[in-house]
Amino acid sequence: MNKQILLIRAAILVGLLGAWEIAGRLANPLLYVPPSAAVPALGRLLALRSYPDLAQHLLLTLREIVVAYGLAIAAGLGCGFALGFNRLVGRAYGPILAALYAVPAVVWYPSLMLFFGLDAASKIAFGFLLGFFPITLAVLAGIRQVSPQMLVVARAFGADGLMAFRKVTLPAMLFTLVGGLRTGLALTVIGVIVGEILGSKSGMGSLINHAYGLFRTADYIALVVVTLVLIVGSDALAAVVEHRAQRWTE
Amino acid sequence: MSELIVVEGVCKRFVTSSGPVDALRDVSLSVGAGEFCTLIGPSGCGKSTLLGMLGGLVAADAGRVAVDGRPVDAPDPRRVATVFQDPGLFPWRTTLENVEFGLELQGVPSARRRRVATDLLGPLGLRDFAAKYPRELSGGMRQRVAIGRALAIDTPIVLMDEPFGALDEQTRVLMGEWLLDIWRRTRKTVVFVTHSLHEALALSTRVVVMTARPGRIKSVLELPMPYPRAMESAELVALRAKLWSDIRDESLRAMQS
Amino acid sequence: MDGVKETLRVRAVQGLSVTALLLAWEGAARAGWVDPLFVPAPSAVLGAFGRIGRAALAGLGDTLLKTAIAYVLAVVIGVGGGLLLGAVGPLRRAVNPFVIALYGMPKILVLPWIMLSLGFGATPAVVYATIHGAFPILVLVTGAVRDVDRNLVTVARAFGARRGQLYWKVVLPAIVPTVLAGMRLGIVFCLLGVLVVEMFAGVRGMGYVLSSLANGFRAPELFAATALVSAASIVIVLSLDVLNDRLSQWRGEIR
Repeated sequence: MNKQILLIRAAILVGLLGAWEIAGRLANPLLYVPPSAAVPALGRLLALRSYPDLAQHLLLTLREIVVAYGLAIAAGLGCGFALGFNRLVGRAYGPILAALYAVPAVVWYPSLMLFFGLDAASKIAFGFLLGFFPITLAVLAGIRQVSPQMLVVARAFGADGLMAFRKVTLPAMLFTLVGGLRTGLALTVIGVIVGEILGSKSGMGSLINHAYGLFRTADYIALVVVTLVLIVGSDALAAVVEHRAQRWTE
Repeated sequence: MSELIVVEGVCKRFVTSSGPVDALRDVSLSVGAGEFCTLIGPSGCGKSTLLGMLGGLVAADAGRVAVDGRPVDAPDPRRVATVFQDPGLFPWRTTLENVEFGLELQGVPSARRRRVATDLLGPLGLRDFAAKYPRELSGGMRQRVAIGRALAIDTPIVLMDEPFGALDEQTRVLMGEWLLDIWRRTRKTVVFVTHSLHEALALSTRVVVMTARPGRIKSVLELPMPYPRAMESAELVALRAKLWSDIRDESLRAMQS
Repeated sequence: MDGVKETLRVRAVQGLSVTALLLAWEGAARAGWVDPLFVPAPSAVLGAFGRIGRAALAGLGDTLLKTAIAYVLAVVIGVGGGLLLGAVGPLRRAVNPFVIALYGMPKILVLPWIMLSLGFGATPAVVYATIHGAFPILVLVTGAVRDVDRNLVTVARAFGARRGQLYWKVVLPAIVPTVLAGMRLGIVFCLLGVLVVEMFAGVRGMGYVLSSLANGFRAPELFAATALVSAASIVIVLSLDVLNDRLSQWRGEIR
């Protein structure tokens, strides 16, 4: 049965690549860049021939992600714990947070662009905005799932306040928390990239825009591939951390 | 009188991740109309598998299973109804709608369905709960709904796979008495799977003891005593001892394997 | 009694915070602590509502129309595809890595290509938004169909349900909660997709209104328009939540 599945997958891949190749040869080559043209484009990109300052742009995007994510973690954890531990604050601001979450984040982007300009700051702000929500929500969910019974037991053994938090609450919610951190990273990355594509002078998104604007479709595809590697790489890192956390909590 | 349910030389092997497992080996059994036949045996002896075969949900690898003279190869809701250990009520249906389920599948018009189901609620003791959802019912009530669902399609045979297994002791005893009452009124043929010696002795006309895996029939006890059963009577005490000694050996073997 | 008192305190905190924020904001703007070019006073924003009202509502209408079309398509594709993948095991297992990969990929990377092939206008917006909204629904529904309680399926089969009856009477009702959750998610994703295309390509609609206001440094109007589209989005999602609650009576859980 496993063979059947592998066969279907192989068939899909071959079918897609084949269709792409044919479309590229027969139809509009500007649109359907066949794999035979896309691969050399990737080579040219990595050899820094099509975009010599690729490294700077890549680093800039990475920097934006790191800063945005750091801010998102700080604010997310802070807000999450503030809302989670103080009942009144939580009940007051929780619904407001939930309502804001119902608004597609991109709605805020033009305002951010107005305020921060076209530079890295607006991308960092947008990435922060996207990553902040899942982290806060994860903290809230994590706190909610700590069984009050455990805390009662802890207090019976003489641990309360900060010690109870460190020894009981934190480990119990760690798994949910790390899940939220992982989602937060994924969304921060998306936020930064969307921000760059919607308008920026530098960063991977701006390069993609540049290639698209000049109809350099093969280069565009190559840039997308590199960006995807960045995205998948960051998520893979997060997944590793998540698995470690899973082992600790079990 | 020809037997309603006939099982001859039935075998069943399952392929699991740890290799093939013989659930049943050469099982032969027959159940007459109107009987209350209990299958009892240690865990893993294949009693649920056997019941599944009677209900057309599990196919035998060898041998034959026949109900009312016909071989069983698929569920036959005109002849056989099943009640499982997990009541399996549809959470989006009310009590009444759950009881109607089998009738709905058979295309019975809604007015008649409603009447049949409503009439059943009385004996089920659920008249006040007709419009309630499963989450509002206790475990015992849910199982009664499941039994009602099986009774609604009015089949000559009702199979029950440890229906009271998830209930507490007191509820079990009361449910057993209630079930007996229903059975005696409807005169259906019941095949009942249980772990409980008490249930086997209190409810059945015949008790079939199965061996540990691979399951076969170890012994068959006839219980012609009248109802309600006088559990302290000498007869039943002796039978209980016999039953226990049969099962005990098999349970030990099952535990050791 | 306690509940009422607490609700009052909650409302008080909410009301006071919002009022305090607005007052501080207005005060800061008037005192000149913030550049009115970037942070307009609330009073200016209120005034701006009147000025851009017509254009903003027209843009909102445009956006919502495209969103509605994309949403219908996304739900059909998502639920239909989810049913198919959930039901056909080998197909699902084979296609799963592709679906996960595509799901995790920011769709905006494909947007330039979509623009290249479909040009400008409403079509790329609807197509992109459909893709954006269909994926989460597809993934959710696939999971729900796959995870339908085995007991319920066994019961239905034991009572003689044919394949069609199985789907109609067991699987579909069982996945309703997930479909509703997916639909709630889908509307936000579809709206987001439409807005992104409008901002990226200058297609007519709220996204374009917002980005052109930003480019023109018209801060009060921008804030007003942003507030407008945010309010619309919140109203839509809240309505779906109410609908969701009504249809989930039998579950009786509090979300």
